Amino acid sequence: MKKISYQFVLIFGSFAVLFFCLSQINWLGIFKVEKITHKTEKTIGKKCWELFKKEQKVSDNPQAIAALDSIINRICKDNNIDSKNIQLHLLIKDEVNAFALPDNHLVIYSGLIDATENESQLAGVIGHELAHMQNNHVIKKLIKEIGMSALITITNTSGGGEMVKEIAKTLSSSAYDRQLEKEADIQAVNYLTNAHIDPIPFANFLSTLDSTSSKFSLSWFNTHPDSKERGRYIKAVAKEKSIKPIAILSTSTWNDLKNNVDY
Amino acid sequence: MKNKTAFAYTPTDFETEKASNSYLMSLLALIAGLPLPIINLIATLIFFLLHKRSTYFIKWHCTQALLSQLSVFVINTIGFWWTISIVFGTPTLSNAYFAYIICMFLFNLIELAGTIYTAIETRKGNHIEWWFYGPLTHLICKP
Repeated sequence: MKKISYQFVLIFGSFAVLFFCLSQINWLGIFKVEKITHKTEKTIGKKCWELFKKEQKVSDNPQAIAALDSIINRICKDNNIDSKNIQLHLLIKDEVNAFALPDNHLVIYSGLIDATENESQLAGVIGHELAHMQNNHVIKKLIKEIGMSALITITNTSGGGEMVKEIAKTLSSSAYDRQLEKEADIQAVNYLTNAHIDPIPFANFLSTLDSTSSKFSLSWFNTHPDSKERGRYIKAVAKEKSIKPIAILSTSTWNDLKNNVDY
Repeated sequence: MKNKTAFAYTPTDFETEKASNSYLMSLLALIAGLPLPIINLIATLIFFLLHKRSTYFIKWHCTQALLSQLSVFVINTIGFWWTISIVFGTPTLSNAYFAYIICMFLFNLIELAGTIYTAIETRKGNHIEWWFYGPLTHLICKP
């Protein structure tokens, strides 16, 4: 029996040592996984954005872009995120929606700005989308729903129009799975508190706006799981943090952003 | 890893053929059942159950073949579900994943070579006891 135990430990130990040693090697680099993924993200992000640009109205209001940039910069700066990588786009559409595309494209609909009552609420949604970007949720979702081989095919061919349309639709009008959404919500709370933005208005925004509201077309809320439940756990996480909120935009800048929402 | 030892008695030609087949069965099932790791285990288990009341030599080798498949089954199952979770779930490709797949491949290769060698030697009437699995089989399988 002792001999068997000794041999078992030796076999299991050899396997564990071999696994440990091999896992120290940069296989991702050897197989160029990161390079391929980065190239894929970049191309798909570009193709998706070109599609949105062609089919929807893009705002060229410099004040609105500057105000949104200020919110993004504050969150990025206080959370060690390189804001230069974020490509902000403002689309004129009355849907309450914001979403991330591959390669750090952040798309915000004017309807979202219209629906938010203060900069903290808007910052909460932006923080949530930044969390999706930082955690690679965008590409994970695409790999899960479209498949890696299809994504690489789109990257290496000039066309793929229908597939790009499907990807754009998937990213703009469907949520990530519940686990990823919760992860993004909680990370958004951390982003906000680090950036001296009160997360409670973001929680209230989720709790008060639901699909029964008739004023707005609530894509972002309809596609995301149970807004009230999300509002509850965001408040619970926020309670554990102590912050001294510092305003990002002046009252007049925020009012200008809201009042010129149709641009 | 494998020792050629003397068995309690000299097996007949029929016994060596059946014992050799228990190893070949796992090989065929492994090839047919890829990438599902359970197929080879089920095949070896069925062969084992069919020869449960056979002679000691056949029973002994069926047991060793089955036990050796158990560890491959565990290793391959982890690899299989890790791959599935990457394709359909949230984890991404990592250095640890590649390291595991290489380990799994090497382990399977050793197992495959060992199985082929044992099948050939057993058919010749030689009694092969695997390292770890041999003593374990002696514990389970009594004359």
